[in-house]
Amino acid sequence: MIELSVSRLNKRFGGNHVLKDVSFEVKGAEMIGLIGPNGAGKTTLTNVLDGAIKPNSGTVYLNGKRIDQLPPFEVAKSGLGRTFQVTRSFRRMTVLENLYVPALALRKSHIGHELKEQAMEVLESLTLEHLRNEYARALSGGQQKLLELGRLLMLDPDIIILDEPFAGVHPKMMEVIYEYIRRVNEQGKAMIIISHQMDSIFALCKRLLVLNYGDLIADNTPDAVKNDSVVIEAYLGSTEDRSGTGQHDAAGEAK
Amino acid sequence: MLAGSAGQFSFGHMAFMGLGAYTTALFCHYLFISPEPTGICTEFALGSNYLVIKNPIGVTSTTLAQDCLAQAMEKWDGAVAVTRMPVWLGIILGTLVGGIFGLLIGLLVLRLRAAYLALFTLGFSEILRATISAEIQITRGQAGIELPSLFENGITIAGHVFSKTDKIPPYFVMFFLLLGCLAILYWLSRSRFGLFVRALREDQDAAAALGVNITRYKIMVFVITSMMAALAGAVEAHYVTIITPNNLMILQMSLVVAMAVIAGVENFIAAAIGAILIEFTLEMLRISFTIGDVVIDMTLWRLVFFGLVLMLTLRFARNGLLPPLINYFTRAHVAAETVAKLTGREPDNGAPSTSGGHS
Repeated sequence: MIELSVSRLNKRFGGNHVLKDVSFEVKGAEMIGLIGPNGAGKTTLTNVLDGAIKPNSGTVYLNGKRIDQLPPFEVAKSGLGRTFQVTRSFRRMTVLENLYVPALALRKSHIGHELKEQAMEVLESLTLEHLRNEYARALSGGQQKLLELGRLLMLDPDIIILDEPFAGVHPKMMEVIYEYIRRVNEQGKAMIIISHQMDSIFALCKRLLVLNYGDLIADNTPDAVKNDSVVIEAYLGSTEDRSGTGQHDAAGEAK
Repeated sequence: MLAGSAGQFSFGHMAFMGLGAYTTALFCHYLFISPEPTGICTEFALGSNYLVIKNPIGVTSTTLAQDCLAQAMEKWDGAVAVTRMPVWLGIILGTLVGGIFGLLIGLLVLRLRAAYLALFTLGFSEILRATISAEIQITRGQAGIELPSLFENGITIAGHVFSKTDKIPPYFVMFFLLLGCLAILYWLSRSRFGLFVRALREDQDAAAALGVNITRYKIMVFVITSMMAALAGAVEAHYVTIITPNNLMILQMSLVVAMAVIAGVENFIAAAIGAILIEFTLEMLRISFTIGDVVIDMTLWRLVFFGLVLMLTLRFARNGLLPPLINYFTRAHVAAETVAKLTGREPDNGAPSTSGGHS
């Protein structure tokens, strides 16, 4: 079973304490939303988990293996894949080549028929198959996001962190991404989704983590989080008027 | 390759050419095989022969026999035949030394990007040049060091005898080396290795997040290209038979980088073709011509034209002049494919490309 165990992570950038004793666990194919206002430390947390940034203290174990001191490529091979907030496709490589990179990095195979078939399957599921030989830079922003998701499928990790998968995406493309997330989750992969789009998060996730100025202030079901006064004060209440519940108003007054 | 595939500009490869050249030069200059011990030189038994290391004497008059080997030869008075080290061994050594230094420099410059990398390698090249100039005792400094020709005893190919100064055999040696290097680069660009190197040019962080060991591949690229440069330097040195520290001048490397830029850095075949064309053009442009009374001295002006072409290329064709042509022939089917698939199907997913996309 997939098991990610994050314990007492701390990260400081100079005097800026970005992650404060963050601890949580992921067990099995969970679908988790990670929310919080801008600057809450969501992306920093992703970067620490991914190995791009080393934490000042704390540990991360993935399936029993300590990964917090490993370089990103080792973390990727250990089974943690992530996307980036700003899409990062290999622009001057073809769509197929984009997919080959993680597959070849993972296994010591060569570019051959089998690999191509696997890549084409992924492209079909993402409705990108007709673009297979185009350079990635010829794709639209939304298509590039799909391509990035496709690369993750080729990497075949146990746990996937999606950083803002819905930002700037057309509603129709959004459905493709929804579909992707549900399908990949059904295949038994754990997912952590970072997003500011509450509707999507509430629709997809059964558990929410809320970060606020580096503190993990809530770890609960979406309904519980929605009614959590600390969260409302920190996030929901201060950013947008959502449902007008009693607590919401109370929090508003408390401010 | 370094510049194009990996997106890293290095002016230091001239230094590696110099390293290769000087390695083989010193190797052929100081090491000899003698059947008899000289008794005065540093020497090691090597089977039934002796490996003799000549003592460095710096720049002196050639009429004086001051180094230990020359003194020994005088003593023997022609009774003992001393042989030089084989040229090919020197060239191989030069290539290896280039690779070793490539590894060291590669490790050092790993974290540097773009302009900093170019500056660092520029610095390395200058340090090397200064060192060679200063070590007069060993390298003979600005006086330069002489090397045996590629085929010191001439060579007979298909019944035709070429003397050691003939230009045809070295030409073919270099030509085949070029083909060899291009073949290696082609193979690399088609393989896993090439794919990873291009991925790390495009986006290092994304490549790393997808499991590519970026550090290893960056160093490998540096080592391979350094070895190629060193090989080229060593062979060229044996061709011109004398090298001076000025061979390491930055101007040379900028010319090479410029050639690659004009022709197209991303495609090494384009770069090679471009380099050949540009070299030809530069030589052709040496011919002066007259317009009315005005004599245009092209030997002076050709580099100005060259510079203009370079600037225009950088402004209007960032990928160089040749790749668009190559793409026209090799990738024409791609767009057609895309269009066909799009029109053959309901535009159910094409919509976001125009309406949503970025935000």
